[in-house]
Amino acid sequence: MKMLMQVRPIVAALRSHKAAVTLLVLEIALTMAVLANLFFIVRGTMERAHTPTGIAESQIGVIQSIGVIGKNVKESTGANLAALQAVPGVQSAAFGAPPLWNAGRVPVFRIAARQHKTLAAYNSLGSQGLSQTLGLHIVAGHDFVDSHLPTIMQIFGAGKGHPTIPALVTRSLAHKLYGDADPLGKMFYTGSLNLRVIGVIDHLRGNITGRATDDDSFVVEGLVGSQDFGGGYMIRVKDSARLPQVLRAAAAALQKASPGHVQAKMFTFSDYRADYFSSALATSHMLVAIMLILLIVTALGVGGLASFWVQQRRRHIGMRRALGATRGNILRYFQIENLLIVTAGIVLGAIVAYVLNLALMQHFELPRLPPDYLVTGAVALWILGQLAVLGPAMRASHVSPVVATRAV
Amino acid sequence: MFAYYLNLALRSLKRNKVLTALMVLAIALGIGASITMLTVLHNLAGNPLPGKSSVLFHPQVDPRPMNLAGASIAPPDNLTYIDAVNLYHLKAAPKRVLTSANWLPARLDQPGSPLDMTTTRATTADFFSMFDVPFTYGSAWSQADDNDHAQVVVLSRDLNDKLFGGTNSVGKELVIATKVFRVIGVIGPWNPQPHFFDLGQGAFGPARQMFIPFFTWLDLPQDYGYGPMHCWGNNPSAGMHNPKVADCTWAQFWVELDTSAQVSAYREALVHYSQQQKQLGRFTRAPNVRLRNLVDWLDYKHVIPVVVRMQTWIAFGVFLICMVNVVGLLVAKFLRKSGEIGVRRALGASRRAVFMQCLIEAGVVGVAGGLIGLPLAWCGLWMVHQQPVSFAASTHLDVTMLVAAIVLAIVATLIAGLWPAWRAARVAPAMQVKSL
Repeated sequence: MKMLMQVRPIVAALRSHKAAVTLLVLEIALTMAVLANLFFIVRGTMERAHTPTGIAESQIGVIQSIGVIGKNVKESTGANLAALQAVPGVQSAAFGAPPLWNAGRVPVFRIAARQHKTLAAYNSLGSQGLSQTLGLHIVAGHDFVDSHLPTIMQIFGAGKGHPTIPALVTRSLAHKLYGDADPLGKMFYTGSLNLRVIGVIDHLRGNITGRATDDDSFVVEGLVGSQDFGGGYMIRVKDSARLPQVLRAAAAALQKASPGHVQAKMFTFSDYRADYFSSALATSHMLVAIMLILLIVTALGVGGLASFWVQQRRRHIGMRRALGATRGNILRYFQIENLLIVTAGIVLGAIVAYVLNLALMQHFELPRLPPDYLVTGAVALWILGQLAVLGPAMRASHVSPVVATRAV
Repeated sequence: MFAYYLNLALRSLKRNKVLTALMVLAIALGIGASITMLTVLHNLAGNPLPGKSSVLFHPQVDPRPMNLAGASIAPPDNLTYIDAVNLYHLKAAPKRVLTSANWLPARLDQPGSPLDMTTTRATTADFFSMFDVPFTYGSAWSQADDNDHAQVVVLSRDLNDKLFGGTNSVGKELVIATKVFRVIGVIGPWNPQPHFFDLGQGAFGPARQMFIPFFTWLDLPQDYGYGPMHCWGNNPSAGMHNPKVADCTWAQFWVELDTSAQVSAYREALVHYSQQQKQLGRFTRAPNVRLRNLVDWLDYKHVIPVVVRMQTWIAFGVFLICMVNVVGLLVAKFLRKSGEIGVRRALGASRRAVFMQCLIEAGVVGVAGGLIGLPLAWCGLWMVHQQPVSFAASTHLDVTMLVAAIVLAIVATLIAGLWPAWRAARVAPAMQVKSL
């Protein structure tokens, strides 16, 4: 009630500064709108950069081995895998690609007729040992058994035959395919394969885009032997601290086993991941810099105008002091004034933020802004406004009552 | 009069240093942020080959079947192998180039030299003269070499440094995809951005490491991709292992046309070619050709990265907020001078004179903000340079942008000053003089 008593004269006083107050409200509204949207973008990137793929990331190294065509050297992927497995420190090895590496989705069907595309999922395809090497967590059912696997040529060459092969699915994909029913033993279909679910894994994100569909993945293994493939070889080491050394040793072993191949790239998964997100993170850092600039400029604007008002009203302040107002009263006057202006700016800013978000959604495929970002923006601006006004308000509270008796 | 107002403005600004500093800082930050992003935009949207962009043209024809689901009206960006070869032999353009890119295993022709995947551009002889490629050693190959499928290679400076320590390597030999190639030339620094001649491989980034004759390249025992391939029909991967299939586009084609007569003649030749192919039954659509010059082509392909466009909008948002801030501070500033303005008005100054005086004061703030904003923009660009993005290396501050920064600062501040100055000019002399 006492608060309300104080508010009325402040509002009345603000009416005589319509222009400056309007500009301040406008500035705060624009800052709020831009700030909330930038914070939303930055937060999304940070979240993506820290979302796990579901594989044993710190233990995995990849060697891209490309076969030189036209060379008459007989090499075999099976022998390459044996050579990699023999390297000390290697826990398991497989032919195949890790998540994030050229990730693409394939259409998945619920019924064998394959007429209605139900959804798309990431397909992790590789040799025997793939699921062991990726270090997937099986939460129901069991892992692949080598004696039940098809050969990789059956998978690659599957055209009209539609062979039925075992598969692991993520919990997320299982839920989308079968709802709450037990997925074990159930079937699903891709364009060329019939797949039987033998196990469910907790997470395997083929790509990290931030969408819920990232975790829709399935894994298939095919036996490799005498064929000669170029592509990715993955190793998983026992001790992640020794991964760089073991990876170098593995690359040397692979080169020895297949001298006709070129090792185009070699990387630990952690490095690949860091590289994958580096440009998005760099953009985020730029945006954070812009957010800081905005906060500084707005604080300067608020502080500058407040300091001007204090100077302009020195005589009035002196009078109020002479009439018995305490320093606290004067201090609070400016603080409440600031609170009112900033609040008006926040209310307008919330609307502008949504409009801006709609524009961003249309042009840059951004998701909808959740309301809690507006709350964060509001709190930030309230604090900023109070900090900016503190100096001028303190100065105002120190105006001596004697000022009232002097000419300005 | 201007000098007098300038003097008054400086005095007035000196009187309240804090307020002045706040305004200058706000403008400087706004200018810094927006000029940083404008510079990036300016560099990326720049003309990669200013001397020749008006005579380089990108022909397109439409070999797609009549009722292709989801097909756009625009013809494909690239050519099928058959169209590429046919258009390459079309004499209507004096200079023409057929090109694509991939990577190939290559090493020195010495025992023990390690194989490396090396980025390759396959192209025909005119590439080097059409696109102003400088040579440090040797020269380009000839059209006869193209026709003979000669096994010659032109190295980039970086690859020559890596393999031969930067020495003249002309005549030395490399093994590329199991065949022996003779080095015929080494180019100097050359990497126009965006890579207009082959946007499918990424518009920005490092240059290719070596160049080999197009038809020789196609003959090589290889399966390392043939550039950005688009196929239609039942087999989407038809061309992956055989680039000569009829229903996949992947080859880039450019022609040089020096006069407008040549341009219209070439356009007619493209239409004529399409009609001919339709009669032969290869094409089913009515002639659907395009002949864009380099600048129009880049425009059509929207080469500016989305991230850059978004950041530019954001930077202008920041600039707008800074300017609203400045308007507020200017209102305060001029209002404080009400007494002084009242006296000037009472002594006979016209509203116009007061208005001008205030505007000049705003202009001075703008100049100061612009000058301080420039080093900030430079810092901003330094930040952009540290980013691990493909276009980072091609950004730099040039004279155009320096001038633009100052002009933008002054114009924006003058616009920001209009309303505060107008308000100040409306001050009633009597009221103010009375209160003194």
